[in-house]
Amino acid sequence: MQANPGTPAPPAKPRPVVNPWSRPFWEGTRQGKLLIQKCGACGHHVFYPRLSCPDCFAEDLAWVQSSGRGTVYSHTVVMSNAPSAFAADVPYVVAVIRLDEGVQMLSNVVDCDPEHLACDMPVEVVFEKLDDEFTLPKFRPVRP
Amino acid sequence: MSKSRGRSAIVGIGEVPTGRFPETSAIAFAVESARQAILDAGIGKDDIDVVIPTGSLFSNQFSNELATCRLVEELGLRNVRRNFQVFSGGSSSSNALQVAGAMIAAGEASHVLFVHTDKLGTGVTAQGGIDLFSTAGISAEWEVPFGQHYSTVAALATTRYKHETGCTDEMLSAVCVSNRKWAELNPHAFFRKPLTIDEVMASKMLATPLRAKQSNMLFDGGGAFVVTSAERARDLTDKPAFVLGEGGAVTHFAYSQEPDLTRFGWAQAARQAFEQAGVTPADIDVAEIYDSYPIYQIIGLEECGLYPRGEAGPAVLRGDTWPDGRLPTTTDGGMLSKGHIGAGGSVSLMIEAARQVMGKAGGRQVPNCRFAIETATGGTYMDAQVTILGNEIP
Ligand SMILES: [Zn+2]
Repeated sequence: MQANPGTPAPPAKPRPVVNPWSRPFWEGTRQGKLLIQKCGACGHHVFYPRLSCPDCFAEDLAWVQSSGRGTVYSHTVVMSNAPSAFAADVPYVVAVIRLDEGVQMLSNVVDCDPEHLACDMPVEVVFEKLDDEFTLPKFRPVRP
Repeated sequence: MSKSRGRSAIVGIGEVPTGRFPETSAIAFAVESARQAILDAGIGKDDIDVVIPTGSLFSNQFSNELATCRLVEELGLRNVRRNFQVFSGGSSSSNALQVAGAMIAAGEASHVLFVHTDKLGTGVTAQGGIDLFSTAGISAEWEVPFGQHYSTVAALATTRYKHETGCTDEMLSAVCVSNRKWAELNPHAFFRKPLTIDEVMASKMLATPLRAKQSNMLFDGGGAFVVTSAERARDLTDKPAFVLGEGGAVTHFAYSQEPDLTRFGWAQAARQAFEQAGVTPADIDVAEIYDSYPIYQIIGLEECGLYPRGEAGPAVLRGDTWPDGRLPTTTDGGMLSKGHIGAGGSVSLMIEAARQVMGKAGGRQVPNCRFAIETATGGTYMDAQVTILGNEIP
């Protein structure tokens, strides 16, 4: 689709502002893997990436691959007044996902009729390329 | 008796109307509010020894001027030992009140002036406001890239709360109507025309199930209060607003990390505040509950113990929180009708809580008001702050 002449181009999508210790996460999504951390001392899974375990304070955090499966804790369909960079995307779904590993993350639910969105519905991860550097983990309903 | 119960009191309040004032500078709101608060306290300007401005969101330059003593100079305060910012977004007033009380109790301050001013109505464009609030307090790595902003933040809590409790859109809309009824009585409020549930439910959908008239709007405004010791307060007035109890709980930074989007930290904060105050929810005469969106007013009423879970929505719908209702709530009209002025959202509510227990609320004065509860929160509801004020120390 072409922009109207005279209409300013919408601002580019915001790219994640990355901390050095979360680089492996973004490297993982680029390769189609959802990586989270696991604490070697207490066994808790950790997301988002930390420098030390938010449960027991140990620094012994290793990267493990998430099943990519979880449920929708809550959801909303953005219909209007979106941030500039997302104005062209409405309607889009923002959701809090509870991964089976017990961690929560914000994402978008895709490939889903908004009418069918529901709390606690099972979802699985899909990967959506933002640009050459970043791929965002998104979620779609698990098809029976 | 709790060591800190009633150790300090709010003895003076000042406020400018909330609205759009393109011709007025933010420093003028601050000076006007601060002068009113000092005069209302019945003290001299040179009695102030500590000044605590909070952050101003519309301009970093201006906010830095407040941090670097501009207000002390503009007001000509000659005996100020310290000027420093206390800033935690919407919970700034609670944190500043606690810092002021602790300094007074420690003998490190005698009269503390807290001031808020911002210009989010005319100092930024409407889209600029949306863009500011799609990044302020929202994780740049984990949430901004997914289109998170304040409408989605509120909508996510609303969706889950409706799912768990059966709360309806009609109940949520009734919060807006309740707050509007109070705003009709408040000359400082921006929205003062009567509002109906039907009008709220017919307004534009922003992010399901949240509609435009269930969203706060950003305005210019300012407010101030003066805090002193309980002994000094008794010299100054018959009806100070004693700080009886203060509770707080920080639960997250990134909104998606909040363990319970239908509760947050209010219950813990309220337990601390009530225990310290030596009163119970049944003693509360007026509830100034943080209302940037209707869902938070309902959750606040329940988690503070004023209503059982799932029963605040029906209570608002039947008029409990309205003028002449059983529990007058958010009696200045709140962010939904008085208008959202940034960190001032709950500065406003703190001033209103003090105003009610001091008996200075004019046409919306709650009769025989002894005890008020006030709630506040910053960022994306990252913390739950609860303050209990009273004109006597139980
Ligand atoms: Zn651990």
